[in-house]
Amino acid sequence: MEYSFSKDDLAKIDEIKSRYPEVMPATLPVLWLAQDKFGHVNEEVQKLVAETLDLPVSHVHGVAEFYTQYYKKEMGKFVLDVCTCLSCHIGGGYDILKHLEKTLGIKAGGTTNDGLFSLQEVECLGACGYAPMMQINNDVFVNHLTPEKTDQVVEGLRKGKYPEFESIAMPLNPNTSASKETV
Amino acid sequence: MAEIIIDGITYEFEGQHKLLQFILDQGKEVPFFCYHPSMSAPANCRQCMVKVGQYVKDRETGAYQLDDQGNREVRWFPKLQTSCTLDMTDGMVVHTQETDTLVQRAQKDTLEFILINHPLDCPICDQAGECPLQIQTYKYGPEGSRFEVKKVHKPKRIELGPRVILDAERCINCTRCVRFTDEISKTNQLTITRRGDKNYPITAPGEVFDDPYSMNTVDICPVGALTAADFRFKARVWEMNQTPGLDITNGKGVNVDLWTRDNLVLRITPRFNPDVNDHWMADQGRDVYRLYNENRVSRPSIRLEDTKGSMDDGVAQVKTSWTNALDTLAEVLHENKASTILTIGSPYASVEENYALQKFSSLKGLPSPFFTPHILEGSGDGFLLTDDQAPNTEGCRLLGLEEIDTEEYKKRIKGASVVLMLNDDPIGRDILKASDFKKPFVVVFATNHTDTAKAADLLIPTTCAAEHTASYVNVEGRIQRTFPAKETRYTNRRLDLEMSEGRLDRYGTTFDNWVTEENRIDCKPTWVSLSELSQRLGIPFSFEHARELVAELSSQHPAFEGISFEKMDEERGILLRRAELTT
Repeated sequence: MEYSFSKDDLAKIDEIKSRYPEVMPATLPVLWLAQDKFGHVNEEVQKLVAETLDLPVSHVHGVAEFYTQYYKKEMGKFVLDVCTCLSCHIGGGYDILKHLEKTLGIKAGGTTNDGLFSLQEVECLGACGYAPMMQINNDVFVNHLTPEKTDQVVEGLRKGKYPEFESIAMPLNPNTSASKETV
Repeated sequence: MAEIIIDGITYEFEGQHKLLQFILDQGKEVPFFCYHPSMSAPANCRQCMVKVGQYVKDRETGAYQLDDQGNREVRWFPKLQTSCTLDMTDGMVVHTQETDTLVQRAQKDTLEFILINHPLDCPICDQAGECPLQIQTYKYGPEGSRFEVKKVHKPKRIELGPRVILDAERCINCTRCVRFTDEISKTNQLTITRRGDKNYPITAPGEVFDDPYSMNTVDICPVGALTAADFRFKARVWEMNQTPGLDITNGKGVNVDLWTRDNLVLRITPRFNPDVNDHWMADQGRDVYRLYNENRVSRPSIRLEDTKGSMDDGVAQVKTSWTNALDTLAEVLHENKASTILTIGSPYASVEENYALQKFSSLKGLPSPFFTPHILEGSGDGFLLTDDQAPNTEGCRLLGLEEIDTEEYKKRIKGASVVLMLNDDPIGRDILKASDFKKPFVVVFATNHTDTAKAADLLIPTTCAAEHTASYVNVEGRIQRTFPAKETRYTNRRLDLEMSEGRLDRYGTTFDNWVTEENRIDCKPTWVSLSELSQRLGIPFSFEHARELVAELSSQHPAFEGISFEKMDEERGILLRRAELTT
């Protein structure tokens, strides 16, 4: 597949570049733009981004490889990022990962044959208070995971339904409006 | 003047300094891995931690506050600082690991972290013996590891490029190699991939690490992660000895160290000279160890009459004794008319060799020597590679050798009866053809069996830059000198105080299985051969050592006025004045 940016994309990239005094910081947003467009940033896309920004390919490659949020290969429709970092690990993150591996029939890092689900083991997503948790498509957080809840989420996604946003109150501040958990 | 108190000792300083570099400049030590004086400091190894503070002063009186014992009180930074990135300020108080247990503890614990996933393969690691991680772990590290879990495994034996091999498990991610390609060679070929405990340096996918300076990353790698493809597993560092020398592959005059064992040069590394090459050298200069070891002219050779003008060496040329070779040469010089005898200097030969030839020909009444430079336009890069392919073109010019172009060179060879040529390869350089040697009797003072040497009628083996003390003038007019690193049949490490002795040399005898007599080449410095020849010809020309030639040059030749080997050593080469360079 040939990867290229359209005129509109290039205009957007110019706008992104104008936000920074140097070109290098534009790497992250332009990689996002590329991922939104192509669905992933594989080696060829990394090269395209590097050429567009006139940066070394090695630099763009290093940045893309650093973040699990950038997909270095084609992924399924729904990417499940299960956190196994410290708090989630203690809260049973690996149990959730193993459970998902079993129900989806794939290993972490793999994609189901129907192209619907990809599963990733990721580092901290900054939701330690709601461990264990996972993120779907770099977007929706699903908190306080249990195997049952995970199954529900997967079933919902099969029907094209994302789990609803959960507002979780900080325990220290029980009187705010968001105090009632809407699980 | 501003003052800084390091471990209780007060130092004065002026201007901006980073603390770590200042401490190192004082001859003191703070351990570090990622810092390199010629590159930016990212402070990512966290090893150079020190405790830093300022004396507390009373705001109103300006007097120092004293504690119960009457010592000045210090207000410390709340946390330890990385000394590599810390700017020094007036009145700064610094405690290093030498005086502070907190700093000792911090350095020890950092090392414990660095070592978590580092394999314990020092016994088979090429870096062992010259490994900052190994040395500093001995000095400042923990005695053992508390981590009993399986280490993280990463790729091994990755060929990053044709000359550099990566062992990712040994890498401590100091990023020196990445910064080298970003800041020094500017090819941006390397990056750090992945993150956390899984990261390691790599090229972008599909790219090859073919940077012309790639092997510098091997030198600056503080562990055994990057190794040179052609030196891996060749020798332990403590078996070799290290002799200062010069790069002879171009006109830059890069300072190098020659690492020898059993009189073979095994590797060549750059030697720091801020005026020439800083800490770096190009990869091509490292490959000449082959030139020093292989295909050498050992013992004189003479051509059989009926094979003149051909290049099939080994058949046509036969080995002969020094006596026969020099007797023949004396005879040839005697029999032919002086005006038809050519003496050819060489930008590949040292100042001393060219001067010796110059003096010899003037004493014998031969036409004075000329040379043709070896310039390849466009091969320089403005850094350490020059268009000039030879190490001593400026030296030839300074000596006043006639500089001619290749056409004229060809013409003169055609009309000659005898050619006396210093170490050079006009046939390999495509100036001449072997058939051009059909008519004249060609004598070459050669180090290697080059195309020219193969076509010659008489080969006088001569010492190479790894075997003699001699000086070379680089493109900037800087004269620098070499030391003998390899023994010849006629030199001996134990007697020649200019030579360094490695452990194997010191404790070995000729009967040990690590001593190979064949590695000592049967060759002599050009000036010694010329002296022996002069004796036969009855010319007052006699030089034993390059030092005598330099002394004569220094007192008699205006361009070289006041030079000596000692001065070259002390001042890292002497810049000969430009004005005289052009005359």
